[in-house]
Amino acid sequence: MPSFHTQPREGQNFMLPRGEKEFPYFVGIHSLADMATKEDRVCVLNILGGESTTVTPISHEYSGGNIVCGVMPGRSGSVMKTKVGDIPVYNNVLEAINDGKRFNVAVVYVPPDGVKDAVIEAVRVNPDLKKVVILTEKVKVKHARMIRQYCQWRGVDVFGANCLGIGDAHNHVRIGGALGGNAPHESLVPGSIALYSNSGNFTTTIATYLLTAGWGTTVSLSSGKDVYIHFAAPEFTHAMHNDDRSKAAVMYIEPGGYYEKDLVFQKPVVACVVGRWKAKLTRSCGHAGAIAGSGDDAAAKERWFMEKFGVKAIFTPETPACSAKGAVVTNIAHIPQAMTSVMMMNGIRPDFEPRGNLAPKCWFFSPQDIELPKELQLPVVEALEPYNQQIAALGRQVGAIFPRQPMKDCSGASRMDAATQVSQLHGVSVLDAATHTLEENLVLALIREYPNAMGAAMANVAMNAFVNQSGTTGLLAADAAREAGSSPNVVLSTGVAIVGPNEVKPAREAVQAFIDLFGMSGMTDPANLSFDLQPVLARASQDGIRERLVGSKSGKRGKAMLTALENRGCKSVFLEFLKALTDGVDGGLRDSTVLAAICCHLGWRPLMKRRLSVTTMLAMPWHFRIFSTLVGCVVPSDRQDKKAFQGVDNGELMDSWSFTETAFLALLGRRPTEEELFGFSVLVGLLVTNGPGTISAQGPKGAVSADGPMDPGRIQVNKGYIGFLTHTGYAHGGNGYEAIAFLMERFKDSGLTDPGNPNHGLNLDAMAMAFATEYKAYKAKAKFAGSMDYAKIPCVNHPVFKGKPENFDPREVFVDNLFKGRKSYNIFQDFYHRLVHALFKSGISTNVYCVNVDAVIAVILLKMLWKPYANGEITASALESAAFTTFLFGRMIGSAAEIDDHTNRGRDMDTRTAASACSFVS
Amino acid sequence: MQITGMKWGAKLLKYVDFPTAEILGPEASPEEIQALIDKWGGCLIKPIFKGGIGKKGKAGLVGKATDLRTALKEKERLYFAEHTHGNQSSKSEGVTFESFVKAEHEIYVSITDNTQYRAPTLTITHHGGMDIEELPSHQIAVVPFDPLTGLKGFVISNALDKMNAPNEILSPLVQNITKLWDLFNNYGMTTLEINPIRIYRDPVSKRLIPMACDFKCAFDGDDRNSKRLNLPANLDNTNLSEYELEVNQLRTYQGQSDVYVINPAGTITAMTFGGGANALVTELLGDRATISSDFGGNPPYAKMKQISDITYRHWLPQTNVLFIIGGKANNTDIYETFRAMGDGLRTYFNERGPTPLFVVVGRGGPNLIQGMGYMKDTLDSLGLPHAMFGYDSAMSEVINYAQAVDEWMRNGGREVIAKKLGVKK
Repeated sequence: MPSFHTQPREGQNFMLPRGEKEFPYFVGIHSLADMATKEDRVCVLNILGGESTTVTPISHEYSGGNIVCGVMPGRSGSVMKTKVGDIPVYNNVLEAINDGKRFNVAVVYVPPDGVKDAVIEAVRVNPDLKKVVILTEKVKVKHARMIRQYCQWRGVDVFGANCLGIGDAHNHVRIGGALGGNAPHESLVPGSIALYSNSGNFTTTIATYLLTAGWGTTVSLSSGKDVYIHFAAPEFTHAMHNDDRSKAAVMYIEPGGYYEKDLVFQKPVVACVVGRWKAKLTRSCGHAGAIAGSGDDAAAKERWFMEKFGVKAIFTPETPACSAKGAVVTNIAHIPQAMTSVMMMNGIRPDFEPRGNLAPKCWFFSPQDIELPKELQLPVVEALEPYNQQIAALGRQVGAIFPRQPMKDCSGASRMDAATQVSQLHGVSVLDAATHTLEENLVLALIREYPNAMGAAMANVAMNAFVNQSGTTGLLAADAAREAGSSPNVVLSTGVAIVGPNEVKPAREAVQAFIDLFGMSGMTDPANLSFDLQPVLARASQDGIRERLVGSKSGKRGKAMLTALENRGCKSVFLEFLKALTDGVDGGLRDSTVLAAICCHLGWRPLMKRRLSVTTMLAMPWHFRIFSTLVGCVVPSDRQDKKAFQGVDNGELMDSWSFTETAFLALLGRRPTEEELFGFSVLVGLLVTNGPGTISAQGPKGAVSADGPMDPGRIQVNKGYIGFLTHTGYAHGGNGYEAIAFLMERFKDSGLTDPGNPNHGLNLDAMAMAFATEYKAYKAKAKFAGSMDYAKIPCVNHPVFKGKPENFDPREVFVDNLFKGRKSYNIFQDFYHRLVHALFKSGISTNVYCVNVDAVIAVILLKMLWKPYANGEITASALESAAFTTFLFGRMIGSAAEIDDHTNRGRDMDTRTAASACSFVS
Repeated sequence: MQITGMKWGAKLLKYVDFPTAEILGPEASPEEIQALIDKWGGCLIKPIFKGGIGKKGKAGLVGKATDLRTALKEKERLYFAEHTHGNQSSKSEGVTFESFVKAEHEIYVSITDNTQYRAPTLTITHHGGMDIEELPSHQIAVVPFDPLTGLKGFVISNALDKMNAPNEILSPLVQNITKLWDLFNNYGMTTLEINPIRIYRDPVSKRLIPMACDFKCAFDGDDRNSKRLNLPANLDNTNLSEYELEVNQLRTYQGQSDVYVINPAGTITAMTFGGGANALVTELLGDRATISSDFGGNPPYAKMKQISDITYRHWLPQTNVLFIIGGKANNTDIYETFRAMGDGLRTYFNERGPTPLFVVVGRGGPNLIQGMGYMKDTLDSLGLPHAMFGYDSAMSEVINYAQAVDEWMRNGGREVIAKKLGVKK
């Protein structure tokens, strides 16, 4: 039972527990040596919160395991894992006490609104509690008043709030907060200086600065800078006087409050007072109390300390004004020198030899080939331990490493702007993607930038080399699925299922071999053939890498790929390396090795710029094989054989076809005209992605998540594509056909022969109005019959682009202009534009609806397929299948990006929905 | 937020039934003003300044009138009056007409948190009518009291008694001043001052009524209770810039996001981490800085990215030096914050094209090299010159370097970098 002050005082409750007699209120800490001791036992409130999760284990380990328990509502039974043992977690303090946990310190990480209640509860149920350290910032002043008064009654010292706690370098104890960051021993070096700071960050920074003059610390206290500093300068000064270890103090002081005004020092002090300039500010910025009223601004505080020390000027290296009592500085960099000067006057030498210095040390410098004046040119200085090793390791690191986080419903690859409805893939809008080819967009999906012309040519060789599926189990499976009446996505997924990890193992190993050989070679641009291959070749022979790349037999496809690359004029350090590797040696290059070389060529620059990870590089050949398989399996086995695909020779495909042309060939059985090729590219580009929320993105993300991306080697890339394919269907992907069916109905008896001919001779306005009239009657009839479930006109109107007298979907407008710019006419698009006006004129719509982007897809596709359809060469069912498959081609691009992104960034099973967010429907 | 004057003060005092002088706003008609003068014998005409600007009386900005003509003339004089006190300037937005209160006593009272007592504290004197700072200590009572029980009558009574205040004012003051605690405590205030309270004898009941004749208060920005007063958001005199408004919307529990526009024509944009660094950087950069900022407190990636996007959008076009500066962070993750700032730069360059920039970094803390490495890669890929200093460099020296770079860029360096980046004028 504490004894009490009994002297009546005005206003305040006078029944305060007896603490240090020098204070009119309760102060329990007698000496700084008592602030953070080896014997202190700690309970952390909100231990599993975000900040505590990072900080608490380090404090616990640094202090030799002083945290006995933590509290977090609803998490009883959990533990916080640390290197020195698990910390048990309870629902509340009472539960911890009842479980036998004993502690005298509470560290508070509770969010601001809960701090008051958390502190009162901890103090209320635990008679042993003597110290409370509050880390939380933005605690209401009202709550600070109550916390203080309650703890005063109960004889508890409070530190903070909005502080970073206490560190005792001698005791090797850190209580609350994160002084010294994740390496406290670097800053908290035992010495003779007590450190008090209004700034948490500067507590550590000043401790580090002091080392450069040979001064270590006793206790470092981050006081906080709220209106209420519960353990403030007077209490600290008192405890410093009573601490034999502390020979002097540094006090870092900001404007606001009168905490320092009446201090009387018995030991030397260097006071750093900052914030003179802030007197110009009309409201606070930075620390809450850092804007002062009259009389407690920085100038006033400088004056207080100067009077105490008997000095007439601020200490600077040029004018080292100080006395044996102390010095005032306004720049923290001057603290070490000021301390040494003051201590010399007291005959006290530094604690140890100076460690480092405060001269500017540039760790990274690059003028980017700009000629800078001499004074701005800096030598790069080797960083101090352990940062020098980390910088060296950074130099050795190949590729990017992305931080992992839950990736449910989010993506680092795609996003949709809700306002414009225009989605982006790696920063490229689908509108821009529509002006690029399929192969360019596929490469973009993986390397996050478009390839140049040579890169695209190499990608074409790689994808076309494997497109012919003749004789593969995958094609047999796809045929069987087709035969069974499955939809195109199901057919293709059966083919993709066969492209498992073993299929691509050699290619992955080859990529790894290239990275091992070239990663640290200094080669950054594989297109630059001036690179000296000799050292790499020598290493390849020594390390057995050659055997991993070169097969014992002559590889036909590998050879054909090299020939095709040669014919297309492709130059690459990797190709030169392969040539040199096989020069005059038996055996041939495996196709997987050439594929790996192409992948490395494409990804190397972003890999070296650390925009791409090694994980992505290793997976690239797998993605490429799947692109080929997806296109290849569209064509049934009766239309491909060992030598030719849809009647086109394999070699010719590799030599001169783009993959866009090959995809068109797979769908329509012929090489596209230039106009058709452009239309097909636009079509596919528009379909690339609709952001991470779209069903077709959810599928692959879930597939990756379930495999466990935290071990990227386990991710089955082909399963990711199966996830994409299973998450498409007649409603999502097949709906483009609705517009086609609608247009076919309108034009079936029109006699239209060439949809690209503007002189078609049809009266489109009349056709549109006829339909509008017909539709109006149909709608009225349906409504009269009480049905609101009448057929809607596909591809007109949009939930976002509506409400104006005349509405436009900007994506449709973009594409329309794109084709108009090429003087390319499309009767179906023309009809759609006239239709929305007819709907308005006939009173079906109250304004002119927009023609939405889905119509674009239908009109482009139908334009390409109209002639074979009109000629009876393809059926309506084939048309539907082609529309669906085209959608799959486009979305394959976005899915590749999502699979890769989720593999790089995601956490295991992160796409789960918490049970609490799920509901049961009866 | 701070409020001065009776326009809003009277409204707030009504919440707790504290008597006030009769107040008319700028919209008062001549008939209403005449009625006020007729009832009370005259009125004061005071300009309405937003925020906490003081000493209007001494600046001759309080008018007196005992007739309507004078009242309207004073209204004309003071309606758009300008006033500077200390570092604050303000322009009036109308006037109030405040009734004369014939008084036998004048009281000063305030409640505020006193850092010496570490408690809410009542300051009171019955020797009102002059500057509180000018009174000798025995004529003024400064009494801390218990926030858990609130401001009790006995606190007020004891204080007045000790100063030998006239007995007749004790009871009316005890009855009414206790009400101020409800206003102070329930609506998130940190300061409440009424100066003067004029003690008026009601001619009918002959009872003494303390009437508030001027009002000042400040609210705690972290206490949502002030929102319950439904005060207009623009009451404060701090006219926030568009940039400040945008960043303020991001103020959440984790991570500071304090900004202050220093010089809209500045050329160094400092992304500063930590209150201490903020003070030092603001001090040393002075008017070269576009903003004073504190983004410390371990902001998560998403928040830091948003802050970067907003900051870059507002300031990069004119910025010579993007200055990322802080001490050795304790718990701010350098990798996460640098990644966000680097990605922000990339976004800016993607969306708006390159801008000539030199990036100077001084920082320490968890995942430092990872963060610096990420930033370096980003800057290399954007072609931006940069220098990054370790935390063992004096922060002031790093600031000096940033200033030297800025100086060079002001004298032709900006054009050199622009040319290198292919930026056309």
